[in-house]
Parts: sequence; structure tokens; C-alpha cells
Amino acid sequence: MIERAEVLLSVQSASKIYKMGEIDVPALRDASIDIRDGEFLIIVGPSGSGKSTLLNLIGGMDRPSDGSLSFLGEDLAHYSDRKLTLYRKEQIGFVFQFYNLIPTLTALENVQVAIEIAQDPMDPMEAIRLVGLEDRADHFPAQLSGGEQQRVSIARAIASNPRLLLCDEPTGALDIETSKQVLGLLKRLNRELKKTVVLITHNSAIAGIGDRIAYIRDGRFASIDENTEPTPVEEVEW
Amino acid sequence: MVSRTLLRKTRRDLMSRKGSLLALLAIVTIGVGSYLGMSAVHRDLDGARHRYYTEYRLADFQVDLKRAPEFEIERVKNLPNVSEVRGRVSMAVLLDLPDLAEPISGTAISMPETRTPVLNDLHLSSGSWFTGRERREVILNDSFAKANGIQPGDRIKALLFDKQHDLLVVGTAISPEFVYLIPPSGGLAPDPARFGVLYLPEEFLQESCDQEGAFNQLIGTTHDRSDKAIDSTLDDIESRLDLYGVANTARINETASVKFLADDLEGLRVSARVIPALFLGVAALIMNVLIGRMITQQRSTIGTLKAIGYGNLAITIHYLGYGVFIGALGGILGIAFGTWIHSAMLGLYRTFYTVPDIRPHVFPDLWFLGMAITLVFAMFGTVRGIRYAARLEPAEAMHPPPPERGNRILLERIPIFWNPISFRWKMILRAVFRNPFRSAVTILACVISTGLILMTLSNVDALDYVMDYQFAKISHEDLTVGLRDPVGMEASQELKLLGGVSEVERQLSVSCDLRNGPYEKRMGILGLVSNNRLITPLDSENNPIPIPEKGLVLSERVAEILHVKVGDTLNVRALIGSREEVTAPVVALVKTYLSLAAYARIDYLNRLIGEDSSANVLLVKLHPGKRSGTLYKELKQRPSVIAIGERARAFSQIDATFGKNMGVMIAITVFFSGIIAFGSILNTALVSLSEREREVGTLRVLGYTPYQVLQIFSGESFLLNSIGIVFGFGAGVGLVHLIATQYSTELFRFPAVIHFFRVIETGSIMVLIIGFAQILVFLLIKKLRWLEALQVKE
Repeated sequence: MIERAEVLLSVQSASKIYKMGEIDVPALRDASIDIRDGEFLIIVGPSGSGKSTLLNLIGGMDRPSDGSLSFLGEDLAHYSDRKLTLYRKEQIGFVFQFYNLIPTLTALENVQVAIEIAQDPMDPMEAIRLVGLEDRADHFPAQLSGGEQQRVSIARAIASNPRLLLCDEPTGALDIETSKQVLGLLKRLNRELKKTVVLITHNSAIAGIGDRIAYIRDGRFASIDENTEPTPVEEVEW
Repeated sequence: MVSRTLLRKTRRDLMSRKGSLLALLAIVTIGVGSYLGMSAVHRDLDGARHRYYTEYRLADFQVDLKRAPEFEIERVKNLPNVSEVRGRVSMAVLLDLPDLAEPISGTAISMPETRTPVLNDLHLSSGSWFTGRERREVILNDSFAKANGIQPGDRIKALLFDKQHDLLVVGTAISPEFVYLIPPSGGLAPDPARFGVLYLPEEFLQESCDQEGAFNQLIGTTHDRSDKAIDSTLDDIESRLDLYGVANTARINETASVKFLADDLEGLRVSARVIPALFLGVAALIMNVLIGRMITQQRSTIGTLKAIGYGNLAITIHYLGYGVFIGALGGILGIAFGTWIHSAMLGLYRTFYTVPDIRPHVFPDLWFLGMAITLVFAMFGTVRGIRYAARLEPAEAMHPPPPERGNRILLERIPIFWNPISFRWKMILRAVFRNPFRSAVTILACVISTGLILMTLSNVDALDYVMDYQFAKISHEDLTVGLRDPVGMEASQELKLLGGVSEVERQLSVSCDLRNGPYEKRMGILGLVSNNRLITPLDSENNPIPIPEKGLVLSERVAEILHVKVGDTLNVRALIGSREEVTAPVVALVKTYLSLAAYARIDYLNRLIGEDSSANVLLVKLHPGKRSGTLYKELKQRPSVIAIGERARAFSQIDATFGKNMGVMIAITVFFSGIIAFGSILNTALVSLSEREREVGTLRVLGYTPYQVLQIFSGESFLLNSIGIVFGFGAGVGLVHLIATQYSTELFRFPAVIHFFRVIETGSIMVLIIGFAQILVFLLIKKLRWLEALQVKE
């Protein structure tokens, strides 16, 4: 295996155990992966496999019960709430399955939410333009289609200029044609803006578009495959 | 009909919102508690008063005259409507207490030698009735004896008419005619240490006061006790006794003590309705917000319940249960709280009024009523939510709610305003305008709270203002010396030569009947010298009004009672001297806040009573720094002196009586009013927090700190409450003016005083309350499990 790029984020033997009343529920057991700067990584797994837990750890929303987690050499596993908040703000852009737009704000204003607290943000309109929604900028989420809402959410994610885009089932609520548009957009941002993208999905049909594909099952990585020739987004079918 | 499982759901639903529930319960508890407490106090006090008045046979009327022979009593008794009469002697006295330099004013009242039930009977507090062993025995009013440490067996010196007597104290007592004993020299507050009532054996008092076989005061009861009937009876009596020099006639309910207590009870009755209504009304509105939100969140549950066969009635009953639960809990807490208010307030009233047997009783019917009222209010609190629940179609309800509408609010149509503001404020403004009901409730609660606080604080200023006005702006004397009969110039000359005196001003006070057509008022006219310096009546702009050579100057309230204005003419008849009716023009009006006032030039008044330059009141100004013991000593020896009033003393007495109670009342009112605002703010914040958990989650994921999230929430709170505070100031000013116009008795009137710093103070209190609520909201935001809120529930 050739090291093509520096490691952006490294997960080593991470495990996460949730306490549900009196029972311990292990969501992640001894999982290890290095996320490389600039790659398009796809993590595939069925529901309950631990992929959301992993995303929470990578995204600085939670800490591992055991194991290590480092971002550019910085130990995330022992960050305080304050530092995690700062980490999320500066390094991470999130794209959710259900977009999580603020219903009382327009598309443009939803992007401004991220920009307002960012250190080195984009122009909000620029972000809107990048996702091709300049005509819908002053529409409220309820006036936008699902695909458009997801594009607003992507615009919001990139607007603060993060290094890492975390996408949790970004096409989970979309039809296939719209999904392709969203995936195409993510690929383009990965290519053109050099954003590292980690995309989590249960839909293995999508897996082919990534530079690497990691399969997760029962809280562990079953395999991590290099994909030297990613499938063009247009050819994805399910 | 009521499902037990659903009852369990009700309990859990409510318990999961402890914060809101507590905030709401606090308001409900205060509402019910104040209703129960004040109503019970009203009943107990009113009951104690009635028992006292009945048992000790308080008269219905009182007639003061110069001197009438005892056989006239029988004649008066035979007048129509008169049921019982008693003639007695009532005389001003001066007391000389060994430990005090200054002479003490008092009233001596005759009582039967041996104890027989009479009108205005006494309730012995200690010692016994006259024993007959000594002629000069006295029963003192209890508070005076206590205040001066006098006990049965002690002796006191009293100057009766023209002779000093050594009196043996045999007992102390209280009387139904003096439940609130204000010295006749005026003021508003009792002064138990410096004003005493002496009950003396009838014959002894008659002999000492040149009233052998006679009486100078008639008290009596009537069959028909309506004001009108008593007034007409008094007219009959007056014409019957006219030749004995009737100086005053009054219904007992016009006399200071009886009236003060009655006014107080009336105020309590009104408060017991208004204050609880405000609290419970706000609580019901807040509950609508809370329950409304809860029911919206349970949309799919309602859909499911409907789908499995629960009808609208069952659902309505289920959600009414929330109201019943909150109402019942609030009612129980309210009963407990009300019981506490009841006993605490009664304790305060016991120190205020000399009425025996003011004891808290349990009123189960009040509890029942309070509980019922609370339940009704609480059920009103669920109306909005239930209407929403009843309208839901099951199929539609089981789907997630449609996304929030993205319509623009009106403000967005004004781009100059809208465009430059930050997205935070856009969020805040949209949240405010998209929940008009909730926003309105928040504002209203804040308006009420602010208004009540400003009003309460302004009441302090109103009292201060009155005190300053009456005791500094109008009056400038140090002592007021009352004389038994009008005397000539030489008395003031003589007084001026006594130690420490710098200035003496003569006054003539004459009881008169003022009449304008059907409007009549019996009151004292005060004659002032032409260069009056020690008393300076002021007009409504605080300008001193010179007393004209001819005619009268009336206080605004007197003009109101008599329906006259400047330029009108009054019929005036003095009750002493020639007693002829003359006409007098009303030349100017002045403003007073304590009692009533009518002024004239002293010469003018002298002509009216057929005298020549006489005076019966001497105002004394002492040299600065002089507290002359020798002056007091001299005054004590002059039998013509019947009363000595000290301006500073009257001032401090009012201050002590009302200032003390006011401090407590203010603290309580401000606290309770603050609860309204606090409860409402906290509730609104909790509701919008629960509504927007996901937004909070999203913001937190984006890297917002809890504090930055708080800014969005508190922005809404501060915006709405700022509006509330501003309107609350208006409401407070309105309330102050309402009180000034509504609370106006002959004894006391409230000026509308609003100081700017009170507005600032009120605003600051409100900001503190809002700020404190934000701290709680901040802790909640910090504690919020936002990651879970983000987990997709669909």
C-alpha cells in the first residue's frame, strides 16, 4: 500500500460503549482507519453497524471510550467540550441525511449561520453559487425540494472552509436522480476545492464512486479497499 | 371513561416538564394563595369587627354640643327612628407624665360609676371597673397605658378643665369607637404613647368640667340604620337640641376610626379579587402555551389514539386532565400558601387595629371555592391545545408534521430595515412573529409584572410626597397649641415671651356647615392671619395661595364634595357664636392630601362668629436648636391649653406606622410580580427550546458554543420583554393615576407620583429577572443532549 498523501485524521483501536440503563452496548469495537488528506472515503455498513458512532467521533461530537483519535497529530480523544466545539467549527463541515436546515432561515441565511462564527469563511453567496442555487437563495427550506435542501446543507458545510466534509447518508432521503446530482456535487468539491470527504452510507451501490471504500460491520472494519478507478457518478444505479 | 393508562401518560408527560411545571405552579400558587389568604383575612377582620361593634354596642351616631341638660336625653329617645341614646361628657385633657417634659393630649370620656351595659361599652384588658373606693379613678385606653408603662394601681396627673387631678388607674380597656385611634389634632397614624383616652366616672367628670346634670355628647342607635335614615334622624336631633349649641353631628361610619377600618376592608376586598385574577389569568395563558406545545409534539400519539378508536371526547378528557392535574396541585399548594398569608396578614392587622379576637378561622367553603376557581382557570389553560387535538385527522396526524411554513413576515417587506440585520435577528424576529400567541403572552406577562412593580415602588414615593407636602411645604411650625376657647391677642403675646419661642401665629378654627344647594359638608374652617408664615396653603402648582380678605379658600376635595368652583358662592353657618347663615364666595382652591381643608382670613372668620380678633390655635416656631422643656412646663400649667401637637412627631409617627408596613408589602409585591415575569420567561424559553432542540443540535454541530446558542434564545426573550417593559411602564403610570383618582377618601388622597429613577429601578429589576431566567436557560442549553436531538426520529 502506497502512502499517497498525509494522514488528516487517524483512528486507532477506537471503541465506544453506550450505557443503556444497566446494559453496556458496544457500538464500536477496536476500529482503526487513517483518513488521508484530499481523499473521497466511503464507509459502507448496514444500520447498527457503528458507522454513525464513528462519524460522531470523527466529527468531534463524541469521544471514544477507548483507543485514540488524532487530527493532524492532535489528540481529539481527550479534548474538552470547548476544544471539540472549536474543532467542529474550524475543521469540519457536516452534511446530514435530513439536511437539518433551520426552517426559519432562508437558504442564504442558513449558510450565514456557519459563516458568522467561522474564522476564514467564504462569501455566503459564493457557497450558494457553488451548489448552483443562486436563484433560490432567498427561499425558505419549506419552499425547496429535498435535493435543493441538501445542496443548501452542503453549501453551509463548505462555507466555513473546513478541511473535512462529513456526510451522513446524504442521499438517504432523495430519489436516484437527485442523489446523483448531490453526489456529483460532492465529488466536484472534493476535486476542485480539495476537500477531504468522508461519506457514510448503507447503500453499497454508491460505494464505487469513492477513492477508498471501508466496510464496517458490528463495530469493526471488515475491509478497507483502494478503488483506483472510481465509477463516474452518472453511471451509478440502484 | 378515563383511561388509567392515559392517566399514567398525563403524569409522565407533566413530570418530564418539571421546570415549566414549577414556574407555572408558582404563579398559580400565588394566585390562589393570595385569593384565599386575603379573602380569609377579610372575613376574619370583618367578622371580628362586627362581633366587636355588636357586642360592645357601637353607636350609630354621635352629636357634640356645648352643654345640654340630662332630661333632654329622654326627649331625644322619643324622636322617630331613635332606638337608644346615651348622654356623656367628652372633654379634651392634658396629661402630665413624670418621665416626659411635654404635656400629653387626651380625651376624657364619662362612663357609668358601676358597670352597666352602655352604648360604646368598654372591653377591660386589665384591672377592674371603677371600685368606688376613690372618687378619682380612671380606666385608660390600653395601648396608651402599655406605651407609657402604666399599670392598674399607678397614678397619673391630668389637667381637667382648670384643675389638675391625681387619678388612680384601676384598669385598662379598649373601645369599639377607637379601633384605630388617631389624635384629633390630625395626622394619619395612631400615636399610642402621646394620645390617651381616659374613662372617668360620670359624676366626677361632670363636676370637674362644669357639666353637672348635663352632657356634651350624645351617642345613639337607630332602628333604620341606613345612612339616609340616620342623617334625617340627626337633623331632627339637631333642631331639637339647637339651643344647646350643637357643634357637630356625625354618623358613626363617618368617624375616623370606623371609616379607616371600613375603607381598609373595602380595599382588601378589591385586592382579593384583582390580584388573584391577574395571576391566574396569566397562568392560564402561559398554560395554553405550554400545553399547546405539548399537544403539538404529541401529534402522532394523538393520531394513533384516534386510529385505535379513541374518540374526540376521550382525547379531550385526557388533555383536560393536564389542566385538572395542574389546577389541583396548584390549588393544594395555594391552600397551604393562603393559610400562611392568612395568619401572617392577620398578625399585621392585629398590631394595626385594636379589635379583640382577630383570629384566623378555617373556611372550608373558601378552600372549595379557591380550588374550583383554580380548576376552571387551569382548564381554560388547556383550551388551545385541546382544540388542536380535536381537529387532527388520525391519518394525517400519524405523519410527521408538515415542515414549518417559510412565509415571510411583514418586516421583511421593509428591505432597508431587514437586509442589514444579522441572521440571528432574522431568526429571532421570525420566531416572534410566527408564534403570535406565545409572543403576546410573554409581552402581557411582562407588562403586568412591570406595571405592578412600578406601581408598588411609586406608592412609596406617593407617601413620601404627601408627607413632604403636608409637613414641610404647607406646615412650618414646630408646635400647635390648641386652646379650649377663643382668646384675644394677649395669649399669643404671652406665649411669645416664653423660653425658646421665636414666632407665634394665631389661628381660629371654627366648625361650620358649608352648603351649596343640596350639597352639604360640616367641617372646620381655619382662619389665618394676613401674613401667614407658619402655614402656607398651596395650589395644585405648589404656589402659595394668599388668603383673601373676604371669602373662602377650599381644598380641591372640598370643592368636589360641595360641587363648587372658584367664583361660586357658599352658604356658611358657624356652629359657635351667633350661628347665623351667611354667604361667602369661593376665592381660590388649594391642594391637600391629608383630610379636608377650608381657609379664610382670621378676621373674616371672627366676624362670622361675632367675635373680635380671637384665636383658638397658636402655631409656635422655636428658635433653631431649642427643645424647650421650660416651654412645656409653662404650657402644662395653663388650663386653657387643651392640646399640643408636634409636627416632627406626627411626621415620624406616620412614617413609622406606614413606612414599616410598606417596606414589607413592597418586598412581597415586587417578589410576587417578579414571579409572573420569571415564570413566563422561563416557560417561553423552555417551550421554544423544546421546539427547537434540533436547531440547537445543528448549531452545536456547526461549532456554536452554548453561549452563542443562548444569544439566539435570549435575544427573543429580551426583545419581547423589552417591549413588555416599555408597555409595562405605561401600565404602571396608568395604574398610579388610576389609584390617584380612585383611592381618594376624606382622610387621605394619593397623588400620582412617578419618579424617573423608579422607572429605571423597575426596568433594572425586570432586567435582573430576565437575566436570571437566561442563566437557567443557558444551563439547560448546556445540558441539552443535542446529539440525541439530532438523531433522526422520522
